[in-house]
Amino acid sequence: MALPRLNAVAGYRLAGIAVALAIWEALGRFMGDALFAPLSAVAVEYVGMLRDGQMLRELAASLRQMLVGYGLALLIGIPVGVAMGRSRIVDALFHPWLSMLVVTSVAALVPLFVLVFGTGFWFRAAIVFVASVWYVMLTVYHGARGIEARFIDVGRSFGTRSLQAFRKILLPALYPFLLTAARIGLVHAIRAMVVAEMFVILGYGGLIYRAGFSISTAPLLGLLLSLMLVGVAANALLQHAARLAAPWYEERVAPASAPRL
Amino acid sequence: MRALGTVALAAISIVGGLALWEVAARGASAVLIAPPSVVFARLATDVAAGPVLPALAGSLAQLAVGFVLAVATAIPLGLAIGRSPKVAAMVEPVLNAIYAVPPVAMVPFLLVWFGLFFPARAALVFVMSFFEILVTVAAGARNVEPSLLAVGRSFGANRRELVARVVLPASLPFLFAALRVGLVRGINGMITAELFFAAVNLGGLMKQGAQRFDTAGLLSIIVLLCLLGLVAQEGLKAMEKRALPWHFHA
Repeated sequence: MALPRLNAVAGYRLAGIAVALAIWEALGRFMGDALFAPLSAVAVEYVGMLRDGQMLRELAASLRQMLVGYGLALLIGIPVGVAMGRSRIVDALFHPWLSMLVVTSVAALVPLFVLVFGTGFWFRAAIVFVASVWYVMLTVYHGARGIEARFIDVGRSFGTRSLQAFRKILLPALYPFLLTAARIGLVHAIRAMVVAEMFVILGYGGLIYRAGFSISTAPLLGLLLSLMLVGVAANALLQHAARLAAPWYEERVAPASAPRL
Repeated sequence: MRALGTVALAAISIVGGLALWEVAARGASAVLIAPPSVVFARLATDVAAGPVLPALAGSLAQLAVGFVLAVATAIPLGLAIGRSPKVAAMVEPVLNAIYAVPPVAMVPFLLVWFGLFFPARAALVFVMSFFEILVTVAAGARNVEPSLLAVGRSFGANRRELVARVVLPASLPFLFAALRVGLVRGINGMITAELFFAAVNLGGLMKQGAQRFDTAGLLSIIVLLCLLGLVAQEGLKAMEKRALPWHFHA
């Protein structure tokens, strides 16, 4: 069970990707364009979609709206999460609502939000916000709660004041959790963006919904491919940032996919 | 004393939050947001004599089918991925890429493959909880203490025994976490499916409520779904506490 060497790992990764692409092509040829278009057909279609420009235009517009909701979720989720992690009273006051809201299905909120906000910009930003803010809060909360008391004790023995202690001790210890929270939040934000837009058939989600009615599944797979690239790129970027901010922490950062609820 | 204070604060928080909602809703126009008093009364009457219980039963049926299938397939796969560095290296990039695609975007496919009704809904529940369980179980199996495995090996355990007697118990906390996250996601998939395929069960009630601008009806279903999520979450937590008391002492 010894860990394979690094270049061996890269080899296995490439092999895995190659196998997956081969399976896609074979399965696609077997099932046909109408059920599941093969890689070759999607590649041709994708080039056409890139040239046409509508896909990228809609994607950029949808992501801009998503970023507003996501940004608000970070702006509110992070400080509340820190406060909950560091103060027992704040924790007791907020935790019941956090536990309830984090398990509430986002899709269930969509019809209500349409009634309240309409189908425009604020509706989509609000759905993205409520889909990601609780996960951001929860991740930051666990991070802030886990900071070892002795770090703060050391600071106190050196005479730090509370603001200084926050900036010099708490914040650096929190970096990796902030970035994990940003990653988890982003996964949920992108999902919520698509749910909201598919429901009202607008924006990028609207494109996906309408592509479902075309004879071939190649355009649909092309749209999913772009979404996949955005998600993977954003995740890699945030992971890289986490490594730069706190390389010593890496193994302690929770995987983005497994938030503690 | 501390625990008592926490409970008191939690009670204050819930009562205070509901009071805030009540005041805000009464201040706004009634069409926008129904106040909690109306919502809970509505939920009570709809549960007692209305369409809610049959709808809930229908929803839970597809949740059960999709979730059980997801658990049965994702746990063995996750253990295999987590225990073999080679397999992990091979599937990880592919899994990460698939994980980046929002499951709801699979709806058009599921529509083509499974139609508009029960199989499609169960399939969406499956898709939504499968990946969540898989990734969590794989992480758990990877994080087994090497010293535990070493002890097993020194006592002469073979590979199969090692998995059954060391890896599985050691990754139980992750397994429970996977079930919790997977079930909550499954509930999300259940209601998503009912809104995006043919509107039936709880999703059907929500669509009716939306068409009539009936926010009390909508909110009563949302409250019900929130309670369902809490029951799933806390129920699994209680089971975990009984099954793995050592994990909670640590």
